[in-house]
Amino acid sequence: MPTNTIYPARRIITMNPAFPFAEAVAVREGRVVGVGTVEELERFGDHVVDDRFADKVILPGFIEAHSHVMTGGLWQFPYVGYFDRADPDGKVWSGSRTIDEVVEHLVEIESEMDDPTEPMIAWGLDPIYMPDERLVARHLDQVSQERPIFVFHASGHLATVNSAMMRRCEINEQTPTPGVMKNDAGRPNGELQEPAAMALATIALGKLMAAIGSDQAKWGYANDARNTGQTLVADLGTTPIQLDEQIAAWEAVVDDPSYPARVLLAGSPMFGGEQDPATLAAVAISRRDANEHDKLRFGIIKLVLDGSIQGFTARIGWPFYFDPPAGSPENGLWLLPPDAVADIVTTHHAAGLTVHCHCNGDQAAQVFIDAVETALERHPRWNHRHTVQHSQLTTTAQYRKMAALGMCANIFSNHIFHWGDQHRDITVGPERAARMNACATALREGVSISIHSDSPITPMGHLHTAWCAVNRRTASGEVLGPDERISVMEALTAITIGAAYQLNLDHEMGSIESGKLADFAILDDDPLVVDPLQLKDIGVWGTMVGGVAHQAAPRS
Amino acid sequence: MTDHAWAGDPMIHTPIRVTVIGGYLGAGKTTLVNHVLRSADERIAVIVNDFGDVNIDAELIESTDGGTISLTNGCICCSVVDGFTVALDTIRASSPRPERLVIEASGVAIPAQVAAYAFGPGLELDGVVTVVDAETIRRNARSEYVGDVIAQQNTATDLVVLNKVDLVDHGAMASLMAWLTEVTDAPLIPARDGRVDLSVLLGLDAADRTSATTMPTATSFASWTERWLEPIDRTSFEQQIAALPDAVVRAKGVVRFTDDPLTESIVQVVGRRVSITAGGRWTRERSELVVISLDPDGDAKTPG
Repeated sequence: MPTNTIYPARRIITMNPAFPFAEAVAVREGRVVGVGTVEELERFGDHVVDDRFADKVILPGFIEAHSHVMTGGLWQFPYVGYFDRADPDGKVWSGSRTIDEVVEHLVEIESEMDDPTEPMIAWGLDPIYMPDERLVARHLDQVSQERPIFVFHASGHLATVNSAMMRRCEINEQTPTPGVMKNDAGRPNGELQEPAAMALATIALGKLMAAIGSDQAKWGYANDARNTGQTLVADLGTTPIQLDEQIAAWEAVVDDPSYPARVLLAGSPMFGGEQDPATLAAVAISRRDANEHDKLRFGIIKLVLDGSIQGFTARIGWPFYFDPPAGSPENGLWLLPPDAVADIVTTHHAAGLTVHCHCNGDQAAQVFIDAVETALERHPRWNHRHTVQHSQLTTTAQYRKMAALGMCANIFSNHIFHWGDQHRDITVGPERAARMNACATALREGVSISIHSDSPITPMGHLHTAWCAVNRRTASGEVLGPDERISVMEALTAITIGAAYQLNLDHEMGSIESGKLADFAILDDDPLVVDPLQLKDIGVWGTMVGGVAHQAAPRS
Repeated sequence: MTDHAWAGDPMIHTPIRVTVIGGYLGAGKTTLVNHVLRSADERIAVIVNDFGDVNIDAELIESTDGGTISLTNGCICCSVVDGFTVALDTIRASSPRPERLVIEASGVAIPAQVAAYAFGPGLELDGVVTVVDAETIRRNARSEYVGDVIAQQNTATDLVVLNKVDLVDHGAMASLMAWLTEVTDAPLIPARDGRVDLSVLLGLDAADRTSATTMPTATSFASWTERWLEPIDRTSFEQQIAALPDAVVRAKGVVRFTDDPLTESIVQVVGRRVSITAGGRWTRERSELVVISLDPDGDAKTPG
């Protein structure tokens, strides 16, 4: 019989309420034999004691139930976002706070590139933090007059290019495409708004798409997860699961024992996914049932109903946006016709799948909740766990109805820090900002929750996400909606068993218990002991995935 | 990209003229697209949201290649599954290159945003057509969820196809027409089963088409030709276009302006949208403009 490995720790926080803390955990064949004292665990039979985590705190591996493999693709390019951010190799990129800093950053990187014709791509620019001046071609021309440059904004809806890129892609005075922004003299200023305009920068987009689909992106995604304690990441709808070659590529990558995460691929009609709901449901079921890869998971359908709040494209309820830019439409965009949602949800629901639906605005959430109700009337089914994703403006009444219907929420707590000040001042105003991402309300009304990063939109890292939900501090340091703060224990539940539950994985992961998978987050300090304001600063040694230890890349 | 032809450069390619078809769920966009595919007797490309909804007769399908279906009448049908950029590249690269492209927007798209793609290389926007369901439009326009979307679809359009008029009685129809006239400036074309004459919908030359493919439509049109023997002053021409009656749904022609007498100026009018682009060298005897108007009497000649 194989030998048990017993790992003593400073403390094991099991997230199993029936046995919440332990001194040690025993592992065999990728699973947890048991938790308890070393002496208790020795009685399971042949064993070795491995002391390497003796001063660490071990939790169930964190589960990121809403992120995108695109994270690993973008990190193949320089980052010029506002906040400091660590890449999958552990290198911390300092934030670019001003346009001058963006330019300085790019000059430095440009000087290290060889082939002068090779286009340069950078990402993460967030103009909402640079209200005085917009980045335009003139600034990027200071970086290079010859090399085409493409700076992808954090919103994903805009890009800024330099004159060399415009020359190469023939973007000029005659270009009639709406979204190609022009100066008073009628010349394009380098800003390309929305996909039709961005599509003109063909050489940049081709390079970006190739990077996102690469194996390197898959590795970067998992390395990023490992560095901050996640052991399962759900790629929510950015891999077209009907394509055998895409699944084969994933299988080959996760098969490598050193690949440091489990990945769940949610099926979606977006991003090249199958459009027909019945066909998509059949594909998702067959992927789930035929799957033989312990590190690759299926069974979730991702739908998208609306846009983003900071982009004023989320569908929010009356009286709509607080202080939107002049000329904005009254409300946001639907990505699916509301009247079609009940039929689509019913198809997936009847097939036995769990639907995760992107609803940033409360109006979008209402359409999805009502669609689930219709699906349940047509096809009664217990334990479906359909989940409102983002759930940023979901109201108390909506949470009550979600509880009654057996629905879950995955709440975008990172928004509180990253855009909370803007939500209070510009998008939805102080009152609604105070109840955005309402974790406390959801729990009070009996809805099972998780919280998420939506990486690459905000950085992956569940200690940071938990910190956001617990403290609700904005970037300016204000506490936004103190009554929606939750306890550290509630936040830890959300990032472990709460996430596992809504992905239908709670019988295998999300807590450290005899028989479950040996997936751990291994921390330098105890989240239940440190000041809650220090939660995000706890060091992460790394993870264990199915009993295989993966050490985080050292920060540099 | 060598075929980087912005509108009006005849040395490389005539740009593909793009019609965007919008309208809320159930209005009949797909029926209209099917009508286009069945009635077309020139090579038309269409981009649809979902092949599943386009009910193409099996005997019409020549071949299927991933995101593209080729029809025996020369039309090609691309799905938008990999994004507009990929679909547009496929169409631009297809041989022979189609002269017309019809894009079916999603039911909640703001057609003007989809139309932004029609300003890309080698393309030229013909117009935006919003299909409206005569039975449900007023209820949907009051909806908390989609009322604002429908208002934008009705406003930002060049033509409105008022579909399913056979399902509405006379009294309701009069009130509906009165209401629509309030909410949109675009000419209203009543239709049944998405059948609209392609000369009106896409500006196809009626003379090029056989009568066998012309299905009965719910509306009749009047058509006439304006002619000028001498070069015309551009400003006065533009004033004449602006003064055309509201019932004019489309006009197209080739005109010689006094300020550019060596060049053919191509005029396209779709509803209220007017575009004048430079064509090839002037070789014609006179300027001509064919005008198509809704026929108020309903019994006058129909193009085709």
